[in-house]
Amino acid sequence: MLSRREFLGQTATGLSALSLGGVMPSLFARAGESAAKADRNDHVLVVVELNGGNDGLNTVIPFENPLYHKYRPTLRLAKEQVVKLTDQIGLHPAMGEAGALFKAGKLAVIQGVGYPEPDRSHFRSMEIWHTASTAKKVPYTGWLGRVLDQQFAPGDEEQLRGLALTGTLPQALQAEKVAVPALQQIEGFAATEGTMPAGQKVLRKLSSGAGDKSDALGFLRRQAETVFRTSQKLRDAAAKYKSTVEYPGNLGQQLRRAAQVINADLGVRLLYVSQGGYDTHNQQAASHQALLGELAGALAAFQKDLEQLKFASKVVVMVFSEFGRRVDENASKGTDHGAASCMFVAGSPVRGKLVATYPSLEKLGDGDLIHTVDFRSVYATLLDKWLGCPSEKLLGEKFPLLDLLTT
Amino acid sequence: MKSTVHFAPYVPGQDGPWDAHTAAHLLRRVGFGATPEEIQQTVKKGFETTVEDLFADDREQEAAFQDTFRRIHGTLVDFEGGGQFQAWWCYRMLQTQAPLREKLTLFWHGHFATSSQKVTELPLMHQQCESLRRHAWGNFHDLVLAVSRDPAMLVWLDNEANTKEHPNENLARELMELFTLGIGNYTEKDVREAARALTGWHRDGAKFHLRAEAHDPGVKTFLGQRGHFDGTDVVDILMQQTATPRLVARKLLIFFACPEPPEEVVTEAGELFAQMRLSVKWFLRDLFQSKFFFSAACRRTRIASPVELVIGTCRSLGVRLSCQELYTSMAAMGQDLFAPPNVKGWDGEKKWINSAAWAVRGEFAKRIAALASTNGVGPRLNVGRLVPAGLADPDKVVDLLVERLLDGELAKEKRAEIARFLITAADGPKLDQFRADPAFREQQVRAALALILSLPEYHMV
Repeated sequence: MLSRREFLGQTATGLSALSLGGVMPSLFARAGESAAKADRNDHVLVVVELNGGNDGLNTVIPFENPLYHKYRPTLRLAKEQVVKLTDQIGLHPAMGEAGALFKAGKLAVIQGVGYPEPDRSHFRSMEIWHTASTAKKVPYTGWLGRVLDQQFAPGDEEQLRGLALTGTLPQALQAEKVAVPALQQIEGFAATEGTMPAGQKVLRKLSSGAGDKSDALGFLRRQAETVFRTSQKLRDAAAKYKSTVEYPGNLGQQLRRAAQVINADLGVRLLYVSQGGYDTHNQQAASHQALLGELAGALAAFQKDLEQLKFASKVVVMVFSEFGRRVDENASKGTDHGAASCMFVAGSPVRGKLVATYPSLEKLGDGDLIHTVDFRSVYATLLDKWLGCPSEKLLGEKFPLLDLLTT
Repeated sequence: MKSTVHFAPYVPGQDGPWDAHTAAHLLRRVGFGATPEEIQQTVKKGFETTVEDLFADDREQEAAFQDTFRRIHGTLVDFEGGGQFQAWWCYRMLQTQAPLREKLTLFWHGHFATSSQKVTELPLMHQQCESLRRHAWGNFHDLVLAVSRDPAMLVWLDNEANTKEHPNENLARELMELFTLGIGNYTEKDVREAARALTGWHRDGAKFHLRAEAHDPGVKTFLGQRGHFDGTDVVDILMQQTATPRLVARKLLIFFACPEPPEEVVTEAGELFAQMRLSVKWFLRDLFQSKFFFSAACRRTRIASPVELVIGTCRSLGVRLSCQELYTSMAAMGQDLFAPPNVKGWDGEKKWINSAAWAVRGEFAKRIAALASTNGVGPRLNVGRLVPAGLADPDKVVDLLVERLLDGELAKEKRAEIARFLITAADGPKLDQFRADPAFREQQVRAALALILSLPEYHMV
């Protein structure tokens, strides 16, 4: 049916090694640069998603509680191992660098975060976190997308206000008024001008246009326009960035790109990165250790970088996961889907301390930790106090604010 | 039997002509697109025979594929990673004469999404794919049972850790949430009880193995029924729920017909699938023969998946590209075969597209348009077969390309714009040169081809 050569064809010219060069014109980048500013500040929020359900109990550890050691016969971490925050609570041993941030007053550790009637499906729970809504009818916009819509000003279509460095657009950044770009690689995405610049000009003209036959076609046209519009800006951002800070792992590389974008001062206010692998049903100890080590190292590197770049006072980082894990470990030395977990808020404007109360290990809900603070209180605090956005309007409800920021 | 509205038969003539554009629509959806010659043959063959033939006996071809696989296994295709066995699937999609089987295999791979990121024993992934292919248009009940006993699935959803002493809920939960009922149609208690029923469903190497001592034989209460249930019973009970045919019918509609099917269509589809006792073949045959399938709601309203875009472009243009490159192109666009992002599979439609993915699609368009016309056994795009070398009228060239790539659907002004671009060199319009110089003409046709392949319209199937 086929020969060896037919099957392999030409030697490795796969798109995996592809440079994305050439899709972008440099001609159109400057339009609308001086658009009117709405009532908004220049604060940046970077959201870190821990995908899969992070085991909060082994991240922020109640090491003096005998029940913790009882529920976690093989996964438990001893008092001598943990990174102590107080005489009761400590971080996972891999999180030494996060402990240092805490001591420096730049890390808030929020305990017992969750929401009522917790859902143990990854997808549904993630949806709840992304849309900040437990309603059956899922809102189209995400909680961060609503920030972009709320603070929308004429000319924003031409601007870059939000950016996902995850490769796909998280629902949280889904907005109604603007299309938020999602990409993994700034350098590749915004590479040099291609071989057919004239074609690009015509293509841009043909890709735009009214008379959308269907919603999906209109969507594709907006995406095409977003590529044309943002490429030059990101290329410039990558070129302008000079730093010697070393970032660990894939999450670190995403945060490094976030630093590049922040350093370019493009007016980007919302950045999104993610780290996968937290669905630790099986043999949790080693993988969880590696994940949390990367997380702590990446957060510390990002803070150091921002301080050197003189942007640290403008940036706050928020870390969340869709749920915690079952209190009782399972037979495979792992943990199953649970409910309440922990969150982190990091940065120079942050008040470094333990926030809220640790959930009870005596009174559990369906074998899971019962939350002591609603995650939307964290969102509300960041909306009201950091992004200057009315939280009640964006979340549809008034949530009590937390003492997370020094501003 | 209830009367059908949306699934009433499409009558050629009365419900629109059975012409090249209608045939092209059908061929894009049930397969991966076709050349104008194939489309003409399909028109000639007639509507009913065409749909009937989609499900034709393809055992002979399957035997040939298996024979080829045996011959190249261990040399060209191995399970050592590096994308060879993904490339093998691409080869099948590119070559097959029974495209619906591959399209359904892809559909089930997304539905029962299992990833080699966790199932690192690639032979298990290959075996699962073969199983999905065998069941492609068989009975959904048989398929779910096969998947629930599939070694790759048992590894993927941790069922090897599901024992009487320590039930693991992962498989039980996804079986209900994603594979059959959908969220909201079961309780947490049902999850726990189903997990108990599935205890002991383990594997021995690449084979299913019931570990009796790990199975919990006790009484379970599951979705309102009581008994000493095991996994087979759980699957039986899941198939009795009305939520199951509805969920699967909805997904089949989205995959084959239209991205956001109206609720009344979903309801009718769910009832139909239930009446057909979950026969995928009978359900799809009715769908592909329905008024709804050929209505405006379904024509060029879906966003092409990376697989559809890559394989479809190659098949409809007669492009030759290495199978490795087919695979890496799709992966770069966000569809990494055998590595869906999570157990929910690829979200599809608008989720395929973001700035990065769009940029990669543009690169792919340029790569295709730049392939040499003659190139031994290497990558090739014979431009002369798309546009006859003698055709020197720019408007006619544009019409030809638009007919081939967009079913002739592009506004007049846009055609004029492309025609202008076609005769424009770096230093301005060159109509005379375009008419007189075949080499210049080919170069310009390639640029216009890249342009059309990059148009948002082309990415709608």
